[in-house]
Amino acid sequence: MTTADEQTGTGGSGDIARLLSYVALLAASAGLFLEASTIPTSRFEVLGAGAFPMLVHGALILLLTGSIIGSLRKIPADAYGRFAADVVAWGKAKRLVFVVFAGLGLYVAVMPVIGYTSSTFLFLITLLVTLAPKTRTALVVALVLALVFSFGLNWLFAEVFNVFLPRGN
Amino acid sequence: MDAFLLGASQVLSLSTLAMMLLGAIAGIIAAAIPGFTVTMAIVLTLPLTFTMDPLQGIAVMLSVYVGGYTGGLISAALLGIPGTPSSVATTFDAFPMSRNGEPGRALSLGVWASFFGTIISTAVLIVAAPPLAIFAVRLGPWEYFSLIVFALTIVASLVGHSLQRGLIAALIGLVIATIGTDPMMGRPRFDMGFELLAAGLPFLVVLIGIFAISQLASEVEDVNAIKTGERLVTSDIEFRTWSVMREVLMRPVNLIRSSLIGVGIGALPGAGGSIANLVAYDQARRSSKTPEKFGTGTPDGVVASEAGNSATAGGGLIPLIALGIPGSAVDAILMASLMVHGISVGPRLILDNADLVYGMFLAMAVSSLMMLAVCLVSMRLFLRVAEVPKWAVVPIVLVCCVVGSFALNNRVTDLYLLAAVGLLGYALKALDYPLAPLVLGVILGPIAETNLRRALMTDNDWTLFLTRPISLLLLVAAVLSVGWAIWTVLKSRKHATKLKDSS
Repeated sequence: MTTADEQTGTGGSGDIARLLSYVALLAASAGLFLEASTIPTSRFEVLGAGAFPMLVHGALILLLTGSIIGSLRKIPADAYGRFAADVVAWGKAKRLVFVVFAGLGLYVAVMPVIGYTSSTFLFLITLLVTLAPKTRTALVVALVLALVFSFGLNWLFAEVFNVFLPRGN
Repeated sequence: MDAFLLGASQVLSLSTLAMMLLGAIAGIIAAAIPGFTVTMAIVLTLPLTFTMDPLQGIAVMLSVYVGGYTGGLISAALLGIPGTPSSVATTFDAFPMSRNGEPGRALSLGVWASFFGTIISTAVLIVAAPPLAIFAVRLGPWEYFSLIVFALTIVASLVGHSLQRGLIAALIGLVIATIGTDPMMGRPRFDMGFELLAAGLPFLVVLIGIFAISQLASEVEDVNAIKTGERLVTSDIEFRTWSVMREVLMRPVNLIRSSLIGVGIGALPGAGGSIANLVAYDQARRSSKTPEKFGTGTPDGVVASEAGNSATAGGGLIPLIALGIPGSAVDAILMASLMVHGISVGPRLILDNADLVYGMFLAMAVSSLMMLAVCLVSMRLFLRVAEVPKWAVVPIVLVCCVVGSFALNNRVTDLYLLAAVGLLGYALKALDYPLAPLVLGVILGPIAETNLRRALMTDNDWTLFLTRPISLLLLVAAVLSVGWAIWTVLKSRKHATKLKDSS
């Protein structure tokens, strides 16, 4: 697995990103710990529905606090100045990942409206054409794949497995 | 002997063998697609068995089961996406091995290890079903809770670069598992007023989102490689079946130990393959002379994980046959199929329907042979997946993940969850958090909570976790696994400092 530092090619910025993730997780965990403490206990048992989450969040808060302290000691002072520029460079290098996630988000959002077949065809043809090398063969393959996995898969599920994929409104 | 021959004559009939072959193929294909689990494949098979004889029906379902455990290996090795939760540990070494240019070897190792694991577990099943079943039911909620703590600490210490982040990931998994109604009293928790969260997060959607979506997104990180039509595996694929079989058999200790771990854990109701593959992998790493090679594509890791998870198929049948307690969701469906045919499962099963029980044993062995034959014949076909360019694989598998997630519950909201969890998974991966502990946390969280609360409902004395010998043993093992991981990190740091000083 490549670390954030290796991916960006920058030392320290990955540690800052992880530090931010520890802080965000700590804030969420502390909030959920408080919410768990308000869940009433049952008269039928020693532990209530909130006890196990409190145990988990308690352990998580301890670990995250330790990680934050460790990170603050480890990160060199000059790394903070480079952080914003490194994040922008990382985002640019990984632009296709953002395209994939944006496409996926849009795809699942419109599926209930226009149905599985149309949304899948549009998603596949857009993403395949975006990612494929710009050759005639690749474009024909992309079109065939989009047709097979939208119309074909819908037919297979409906006729063979009796599972009906969303039809749209 | 008469009962065995009667069972054998039914299982070895041409029509049963043909149906079992179809079942094995269906199981392998279903589990190879991310999002389609062995459980789903068996559920889809169940209605087809209603018109069959009881033993024929069970034999077909067992072939789907055995095929499915192996099928999970295919996407784990080629795409780094575990087809089923029981092949999580397979991704640790089979995937790096594939990426190092040896996908054929990774798959063959897994297939042979699965085959031998199933055969060993069947042998143990025949000999040890009654005594193991009695031992398994003696374990109380204290031991189950301790087992899960042990399983989580193992996986957190096994994967990734940092034990701390491994433990954080495992706890995030447990946090995700607490969303929705609590498993004991049904009280709503942490749903934030969203209907989507009220029923909790289905662990299969989380599994697909965390592993599959994040892995697929990682595949498109290199813009130039994608645009030039780079394949998943760029080197030539070599496929040497028989030399790999020898390679597996040259590791008898690892193979037998992992299979016995699989049988033992499979025999515990509620545990199963998802824990067995990790424990087997962990034990293989500890016993290895070169533990540092684990996670980089070592054959020992693939053998341990696949032998371990396949052996749970036989182990899971032990409590089912001897006591009528299903060890996993799949065993529960097998039990349901027997009940549909008017056969009551329990201690009297082996007395009243000995031919059926012996037939099941034989069906397990035949299924594993069929799985092996199907895999050896079709492996070259599966390996073609690695030759498909990334630009085609990524969108197609994304659609398969979406369809698989929808088909689980027929809920569109699961798709929103899939996309959100996928994004979370990618972010965590980019920040160097290991993902396997998180998914294990989600799967094991409800079991841990149920057993913790059940233990304290039975007796509110916390010290029982430490005074019951097996529970204590498991908790000590959990502490040792964390201690061992810390010691390994300190040792490697010391080594790195020495190298730096000497240079």
